[in-house]
Amino acid sequence: MADVRVPEGLWDVAKIPEGVVANWFFGDGSRIEEGATLAEVVAEKSSFDITAPAAGTLRIVVPKDGVVTPGSVIGRIEDG
Amino acid sequence: MDSNRILTVSRAMAEAIGQEMKRDKNVFVMGEDIGAYGGIFGATQGLLEEFGEERVRDTPISETAFIGAGVGAAMSGMRPIVELMFVDFFGVCMDAIYNLAAKNVYFSGGHFKVPMVLMTATGGGYSDAGQHSQTLHATFAHLPGLKVVAPSNAYDAKGLMTSAIRDDGPVLYMFHKGLQGLVWMASPEGAATPVPEESYTIPFGEAKVAREGKDVTIVTLSMMVHRALEAAGALAGEGVEAEVIDLRTLVPLDREAVLSSVAKTGRLVVVDEDYRSFGLTAEILATVVETDPGLLRAAPRRVAYPNIPIPYSRPMEQFALPDAAKIADAVRETLDLKKAA
Repeated sequence: MADVRVPEGLWDVAKIPEGVVANWFFGDGSRIEEGATLAEVVAEKSSFDITAPAAGTLRIVVPKDGVVTPGSVIGRIEDG
Repeated sequence: MDSNRILTVSRAMAEAIGQEMKRDKNVFVMGEDIGAYGGIFGATQGLLEEFGEERVRDTPISETAFIGAGVGAAMSGMRPIVELMFVDFFGVCMDAIYNLAAKNVYFSGGHFKVPMVLMTATGGGYSDAGQHSQTLHATFAHLPGLKVVAPSNAYDAKGLMTSAIRDDGPVLYMFHKGLQGLVWMASPEGAATPVPEESYTIPFGEAKVAREGKDVTIVTLSMMVHRALEAAGALAGEGVEAEVIDLRTLVPLDREAVLSSVAKTGRLVVVDEDYRSFGLTAEILATVVETDPGLLRAAPRRVAYPNIPIPYSRPMEQFALPDAAKIADAVRETLDLKKAA
């Protein structure tokens, strides 16, 4: 199992306290290939794509419009 | 193929453009903030990084100059995709659109083609007032020479964009801001859809039945497809089965799809976010009554923007915009049912 995470240090939380998950590009339970663009996170009008760290089955932890910060786990990739 | 991938409309558009740029070196993009910014509504996101400044060109704020340049480039063998940031800005560059892009194939006796896509953002609902909120579908569909496209979802947006780029004539590609999937503007469920990774085309002039029904036909396109589907869902709870037709393109117009649905249901409601008078709604009604007025069992209804400039004030704008409640009431009128309180 692998965490789908907003990268640490992606933005400076002292200046921008939080961001949101703008879009999920796969539904919960979808089969995912490693490296696929999974989600879009937006902070202060800047958009960042989150890619799959491994192949497997996607479990969404933070839904669309959910609040995140750098380091947040927004989903999990389950084996198989 | 990755059939379980869900794309927003903006990403579907950018993917289509990128795939055509890879396929044909003559395809390029230009417009205001379409480079580093990726288009203010996201339609060119990632293209500058992939293709560079030569083929993804930011322009000055001079629509007359860069749309005119697009026409010239198209007539010289290129396939430009030019973004007019808001359709409302057409005023200064209408000569390039209507007198050059739309007419040069005729004026040159067919010796010059104008394979240009003019893509532009339409629609309101987010308090951006009268110069940033119009759809203006009919303004461009009215004068001959342009094809006019207005998708309602990501699957159609990609296929119609690919078709538009490959078309040898000028195509006005009208995308609704509220469907793009931007974080700062909510989009309806159903705007983002599964989108195949490989390239595909959708032919112009083929409407899609977005929901089947037997009691009444609702004809619409773009954002209003979603409002109509919402209305149809509410009406289903009252035992009314509404058929929703998504025209997808205004020019060419799939009149056959409208006629065959109305022949089945006998009732017609036409919905458009554009101004009510002299527009799409009247064109659809005329199509039906010119063909056979006997198709209609009740007077048809139109739900469209009132003939006023779009207000800035949120309560005023929302009051004026077509929505699911207004559509459902119009349907009830065609069925002699009581309006919702």
